[in-house]
Amino acid sequence: MAEQSATRVLTCIQCGKCTGSCPESGKTPFNVRMLVRKKQFQSVVDEALPWYCTSCGACTIRCPRDVKPSEVIIELRSKLVEDGDIPVAIQKALENTFVQKNPWGRSRNKRADWVQKLDFEVPHVSETQSKRLLFVCCIQAYDPRCMVIPVNVARLFQAGGMEFGILGEEEACCGNEIRRIGESGLFEELQEENLAAFQEYGVKEIVALSPHCMNVLKKEYGDNTGIKVSHYTELLAPMIKSGALSLPGSFEKKVIYHDPCFLGKQNNVFDEPRDMLKAVPGLELLEFSRSREVSLCCEGGGGRMFFEVEATYQRNAEVRVLDAVEKGAEIIATACPFCVMTLEDPATEKGLVVKELSEILTEVL
Amino acid sequence: MNILVFTKRVAATQEEELRITGEGQAVDLSKVPFKVNDWDNYSVEEAVRIVEKQGGAVTAISIGDAESDEVLRRAIAMGAKDGFLIDSGQVLHDPFARSELIRSFIDKEKVPFDIIFTGVQSEDDQFGAVGGILGAIMGLPYSSMVVGIDSVEKDHVVVRRELEGGLQERVKIATPCVLSIQSGINEPRYVSIMGIRKASKVERKVFKAADYAAGTAKIEVVKWVYPAKKGGATMLAGELADVCGQLLGILKEKGVCQ
Amino acid sequence: MSYALIVSEVRRGVFEERNLDSIGLGALLGKETVLLAPDGAYEINEKLVDTVVKVKSAEDVYLNPMNMGKILEQVFGARGKPDYILFTQSSSGTEAAAYTAGLYGFPVITDVSAYDKEAGVFLKSYYSDKVFGQFKASGGPAVLTVRSGSFREFAGEKAAAAKAETMEGAPAVDSRTFVEYVEEEKSDIDITKAEFLLSIGRGIGNQDEVASYEELAGVLRAVLSGSRPVIDKLWLPKARQVGTSGKTVKPKVYLAMGISGAFQHIAGMKDSDCIIAVNKDAEAPIFQYAHYGIIGDIHKVRDKLKEIAKA
Repeated sequence: MAEQSATRVLTCIQCGKCTGSCPESGKTPFNVRMLVRKKQFQSVVDEALPWYCTSCGACTIRCPRDVKPSEVIIELRSKLVEDGDIPVAIQKALENTFVQKNPWGRSRNKRADWVQKLDFEVPHVSETQSKRLLFVCCIQAYDPRCMVIPVNVARLFQAGGMEFGILGEEEACCGNEIRRIGESGLFEELQEENLAAFQEYGVKEIVALSPHCMNVLKKEYGDNTGIKVSHYTELLAPMIKSGALSLPGSFEKKVIYHDPCFLGKQNNVFDEPRDMLKAVPGLELLEFSRSREVSLCCEGGGGRMFFEVEATYQRNAEVRVLDAVEKGAEIIATACPFCVMTLEDPATEKGLVVKELSEILTEVL
Repeated sequence: MNILVFTKRVAATQEEELRITGEGQAVDLSKVPFKVNDWDNYSVEEAVRIVEKQGGAVTAISIGDAESDEVLRRAIAMGAKDGFLIDSGQVLHDPFARSELIRSFIDKEKVPFDIIFTGVQSEDDQFGAVGGILGAIMGLPYSSMVVGIDSVEKDHVVVRRELEGGLQERVKIATPCVLSIQSGINEPRYVSIMGIRKASKVERKVFKAADYAAGTAKIEVVKWVYPAKKGGATMLAGELADVCGQLLGILKEKGVCQ
Repeated sequence: MSYALIVSEVRRGVFEERNLDSIGLGALLGKETVLLAPDGAYEINEKLVDTVVKVKSAEDVYLNPMNMGKILEQVFGARGKPDYILFTQSSSGTEAAAYTAGLYGFPVITDVSAYDKEAGVFLKSYYSDKVFGQFKASGGPAVLTVRSGSFREFAGEKAAAAKAETMEGAPAVDSRTFVEYVEEEKSDIDITKAEFLLSIGRGIGNQDEVASYEELAGVLRAVLSGSRPVIDKLWLPKARQVGTSGKTVKPKVYLAMGISGAFQHIAGMKDSDCIIAVNKDAEAPIFQYAHYGIIGDIHKVRDKLKEIAKA
């Protein structure tokens, strides 16, 4: 593994496309090209630097030599993790995940508490015909702001006649952020635990709520699972189109859609969220200048959800909100819990509202 | 410098609601995850740092069931040379019984040491007594609440003890001795899962508690009970803005805020 | 002869207030109460116990658990073994209690917060006060450490002043010696003098949040303090710590955000005039001590408070 990546690093021609596409370059001390260079020469890297990366993946997509700079960052982090010398907040998130299977250290026994907000029962996935699993994951299971996502999606699925079940307390963190933090051992444990549960209950299909979870389940849990993985928008969009889910209400707002990196540029889901928004009566859909493949990262990924980097600079979330204001938007819609969390603060300040897609749909249900 | 460090696997109850079974017979921990005792994590780190600087070896010892091997692997990953498990099968609530078991084990197995570290207390029972009892029954000088080890010399150590109100006292203690380490003495390193896996390759010796004199328990739990509910707070309820308005009202009424 | 020996704690010439809890438990046990104290010119309300025995030992010698073993040997020689030996639940009290128990083979129960006379059982906290064990001791005088604030209401004045006795001190051991007191690093803020403390705990989740609570403290003109986890993680300086291992505070208003209320914390703030707690967990022990409570997301409450207060 180490040898493979070394070879990849050696193919780098230092063209700088990675840094050019990086949402952190210029405004923070982080320079991904430089770090790849240092990895090539095995020279010492300032240990604060790798933690700036948001794992948005832009560098890897743009790299003409398949160096995978974002993976190089993970390797640099792995070294720090192995040495035990990492920011305390990251350390806490990892230790919490080890004990309670979620980075916030909340009780695993309360992982399915969100279902209490529903007025219908959600079955365990083993009790479903379809063996379709709604993979809830940590932030949606525990964070009071993000808990509305599983609640809303459950309501929408219920209304559209889409059968689904959950794993409840048996679900563990998907590990997408954990792998990107560089804790591959912990990632493997989470993966093994989840895969064992998928197998035990004969899961055939997984619907992820967060693009981060979808990404890891789809691309990093191995090719042999035989389980179809999608983001919930990929199911809802066709349901709306076919009329299985009707949206009788109206939502007379100017809404601008922010592409989450893990949904858009990393997994090419660009149209389904837009189709859903366009189907909402009264809603006027706006677009950012930087949208779809070149959407600006909100800086919520790659472990950045759990700690704050040292540099002070204008956060991308704020830039994004200012762009939204300029476009005349009243609402920023997105389809990722991390984007919701990072955008909401500056948006509130500017009088804008951030809504996760499922929130808008539930309002017109 | 040979340091023995005691490390315990404890229930992580911080986020859990605990249930007492039957008529107060036991506390149900069946659904609670386990972790290393926080204080022991600091102790292991401190011991490893001393040995890294001055040479010697750290031996981690755990009393508990087979699952406690987990905290030994962790200690080894942090830098302990050996891990010993004293398999006691069941929980020993009495700190005296635990201390007796430790003394008997160290004597019988002739485990060499210069200093013994324990955590100030364990998160589960919060007794904070094993270190002190152990020091006394082994005839060793003792200090608890150690928040700093200023120097480690051939025949003594100088440590800082945490007292109340932000005060500390510096004391000089002859070695061999027993020290109970307070949390916050250092910043424990992160222990990666890979590190723990590598540590698994180091053999951990398992000893049967029954082979050592444990002494009879001097205290026993008659019953487990829930805490008595006190008066309780006046809960402010309603919409967020409303609740915060009420809170600011209270601050004004108390004269601390305009 | 049947008596309860109260090993009092005197530090830097002050008879610690928590001794009142040992005295209170002593009274509750219904035995003759004999209070042991070191040499020195400090005030004791001598009506609270039956006998005061002053040991002719310097304070730092007396506070050394190893010397205490020798001092107790003399007490036992003079009066026989007591039925109970009570220490304070504190840094030095717990240390000396455990060492004494080990030395004499006595049973020990620490952090005793209640006593059921009928059943003859002592309540001891487990899992940060989530449950309590009712303990019975056997095979010798029970050595107990007494939780501060738990029994002082039972420390009533008697009709007459205590019998005053003195006792020779024991020779000090040299295997552990006191060197000096170390004051923690001076900080410009003294949280014990603040009228209004905004205190943050583990519930803030993450170091990045600290700045935002600092800002709230600024807006509300409160001083920012924290509980042990926050200090251990170096999110706030040690001088800002409220609790038994930090400062004991009694502000007019103590606003606790994200603090669940471990006993060590409660002990450091429970005498505040007005305690307001904000916590997501309705079961958090701090609500038992608070005058006002809000169950909710502390970050949201923080942001809303800032917003309203600024307006």
